[in-house]
Amino acid sequence: MPPKPHRVLLERVSVYADEAAAFMRRRRVARRPFARLYYPHGRSADHAQDSRSGAELFVAAGRLIEVAGKKQKG
Amino acid sequence: MAQMATVTIQEARARVTVGIFADMPDAAAAAPPSGKAAEAALEFLTEMSPDLRGAAILGPEGEVLAATGEEAGRWGEDAAALFAVADEAEGAPVEQVHIATEQGEVFAVRNAGLAAVTVTDRFALASLMLFDMRSTLRQLASPNFGGSEPSKSRKGEG
Repeated sequence: MPPKPHRVLLERVSVYADEAAAFMRRRRVARRPFARLYYPHGRSADHAQDSRSGAELFVAAGRLIEVAGKKQKG
Repeated sequence: MAQMATVTIQEARARVTVGIFADMPDAAAAAPPSGKAAEAALEFLTEMSPDLRGAAILGPEGEVLAATGEEAGRWGEDAAALFAVADEAEGAPVEQVHIATEQGEVFAVRNAGLAAVTVTDRFALASLMLFDMRSTLRQLASPNFGGSEPSKSRKGEG
């Protein structure tokens, strides 16, 4: 006997939700620190953490993170 | 059928994006906004972004117009240092900066002669954050911004 149409739909939705959740999990695990600069006309450039400019960018960003402190909102 | 819907949405987005950028002032703001207006804009930005830890809005000369927390002076110094390093990286002035670290993420945007710097938790949605910052600066630079909530924001679009 074929499954009821709404069950098919629900299963499909939950499969998509599972896929999305797995994608977000993988993204969180795999994502590494990066520094990306954007220029006019849509150009962008990545700077590796071990390059001179990248290292300076990470130091500058670290200072700002320190100033911002911990999250205050609930 | 699903493929057709995707194409339609992308076309609509392109049309909307053109509209958004058409009225975007490229030149610097005629007069720097008041501290009160900057504080209102910063408050709205903070309200709109749940991942935000702290932020500052800087004027045309790099002066701090508004900042969260007690250390407004440090925001100015550290934001200036970040922009200096970013400009030096490729010998050209940057428009936006996004740096993701283990401790949090830093976004910096220049628009309409003003600048905004924010620090968020990790994995904040970068495109939305940058859009909100650009939108806030654009509104703040417009001569008729009186400290009310910016009208064009993703908050009202959803």
